[in-house]
Amino acid sequence: MINLDLIFPEIFLSLAILFLLMVGVFKKNSERLVYNLSTILFIILLALVLNLFSIEEKMIFNESYKIDPLSSFMKSLIIVSAVFVMISSFPYLKSLNILKIEYPILILSSVLGMMIMISSNDLIVFYLGLELQSLALYVLAAFNRDNVLSSESGLKYFVLSALSSGLLLYGCSLIYGFSGSTNFTYIANTSSSIEYGVIFGLVFIIVGLAFKISAVPFHMWAPDVYQGSPTSVTLFFAALPKVAALTVFIRFLYTPFINLIDQWQTILVFISIASMVFGAVAAIGQSNLKRLIAYSSIGHMGYALAGLASGTNQGIQSSVTYISIYIVMTLAFFSCLFMLKKKEVFYEKIEDLSGLSTNHPILSIAMLVVLFSLAGIPPLAGFFAKFYIFTAVIEQSMYFLAIIGLLSTVIAAFYYLRLIKIIYFDKPKEKFETDHTVGLKFTLAISTGILVLYFLYPGLLNEVISKISII
Amino acid sequence: MIAHAVFFYLFAFIAIVSAIMVTAARNTVHSVFFLILDFISISCLFIMIGAEFLGMIMLIVYVGAVAVLFLFVVMMLNVAQQKNQWFASSKSSSHIPAGLLVSLIIFFELIIVIGGWKYKPDLLNSSTILISNTTTNTHSLGNVLYTDYIHLFQISGMILLVAMIGAIVLTFRQRAGLKKQSYIKQISRERADGVEVVNVPKNKGVKIDV
Repeated sequence: MINLDLIFPEIFLSLAILFLLMVGVFKKNSERLVYNLSTILFIILLALVLNLFSIEEKMIFNESYKIDPLSSFMKSLIIVSAVFVMISSFPYLKSLNILKIEYPILILSSVLGMMIMISSNDLIVFYLGLELQSLALYVLAAFNRDNVLSSESGLKYFVLSALSSGLLLYGCSLIYGFSGSTNFTYIANTSSSIEYGVIFGLVFIIVGLAFKISAVPFHMWAPDVYQGSPTSVTLFFAALPKVAALTVFIRFLYTPFINLIDQWQTILVFISIASMVFGAVAAIGQSNLKRLIAYSSIGHMGYALAGLASGTNQGIQSSVTYISIYIVMTLAFFSCLFMLKKKEVFYEKIEDLSGLSTNHPILSIAMLVVLFSLAGIPPLAGFFAKFYIFTAVIEQSMYFLAIIGLLSTVIAAFYYLRLIKIIYFDKPKEKFETDHTVGLKFTLAISTGILVLYFLYPGLLNEVISKISII
Repeated sequence: MIAHAVFFYLFAFIAIVSAIMVTAARNTVHSVFFLILDFISISCLFIMIGAEFLGMIMLIVYVGAVAVLFLFVVMMLNVAQQKNQWFASSKSSSHIPAGLLVSLIIFFELIIVIGGWKYKPDLLNSSTILISNTTTNTHSLGNVLYTDYIHLFQISGMILLVAMIGAIVLTFRQRAGLKKQSYIKQISRERADGVEVVNVPKNKGVKIDV
């Protein structure tokens, strides 16, 4: 019983979901109330997670659930971004008329699933957390059910994700069969010798996880799903599940299978290179901003995996830094997207950005910062994220990976710069509405501020992340 | 022992053949029937290795609920007429070679994996899975389900809750202008509310406004 406070955040979140369901059922027209309550509950949850920050490493439930600096950091990252997702997407949901009580509840349950994934130290716990978060995401993708694109994206995501879950489960069963346990710590002790079965299972699980973070060659679903789902859900997709899946990647590769590093390093390097190159090249021809950000996120995941492939603590830390900064950039980009609104219609084509700077100078500057940061131009935060990754990779003398990464950065810079050219030098179009909510403006200001000012004091983030040591 | 082997190969054969028939059958309803047959023979296999709980659950949940539900859906959506023709048609067969190739590779890899397992004699000794002959399958599941695996049990509950919420969100539509019965209004209605006694003058009639 004494250890129950270690999972207090998860218990609190489960109870919060049930409580909000009751509020939604018994109070008529309580959409707005439930939405605001869930934002507040997220903030309380953040406090509960921060409370566990000082714990070095503790395991509960027969060592199947782990609380350590990595889990605490990733959980707080997820919750903070969930708060910003909530406050920035409210006007969008309202004007699309899809604000129902179930929306925030599904977001909460998906966050619960991610927290379970992040803390998992056991194959079963990990799988259940994954299913919990993806099940909520399927529904969220199809949330605008009267829209054909949204339904299609929900269905597509459901079918492909179920397939990848099947592969993942198959891998889990192989690993269980060959090592005799589902527990990561136990598997680490038994799998020192190279067995085909274990490696086979490992490959299946890597495939399943790569699907979840949309890394090439398991990325096919991402552009369609990103484009079809409501933009608020796309923001959620682009940010939170990737953090959870990347954490599981770290846990999974570095706890049970650290002995097999020679086996999985090659796979990871391949996935990373393929994602970086594909993300850079395929985004060039896009005309829809949401599709563009989908390809961009594929590329960014490639960089995050490059850090993991290095097989050192420094590499892990650089990946964690990368994903944190990536989330800030995603939030800022989507806040800009939410502002492109005219008469209850949201614009998401690249050509709609044309000449934005004449009518909306401040929004254009924010967009400029975000795009420069995504491209990795100093002194913005995106540059430092890539810088840490490449330092970690080069220190392991993986020059090939670093060179390909740098080259694809240059290619990717082309389409980011093209957007900036369209914003600043093309013919202006009609003005967009400017009466945005405080939450949306606040999100944009904070995220852009972080991107601009990160270089002044990078130690703030790095110090927290430097506590994460897996090996 | 020989009877055991005979039964095993019988059920395994039925399971594999019906699994193939699920995809190859032309009529979708037949596919579902083969799926049910597949489930039944697999649950027989489970019972044969002593996992009677798993076998029974398989019968109750998959055959009793899931497959019957499939059957209902198939019949209601009227897809039975659609010919399942990925074997027969000549037009849309461009993806079949690639699919076959991938499945062949996976098949051979599996043979390697299972072969490695088969010819590794000390594997069963090194395994930590203890199989006790005294307690039954159901009993030992019950021993751990609510104790060691209580958190997994609870998480599964959350997953089912989310599935329920999701199904409701995606399908429930509030219909406008729906007439509902209100018992209190019906019972508390007095004679005076509904009936009016009018003195009708002769040969004049009475005007009723509806």
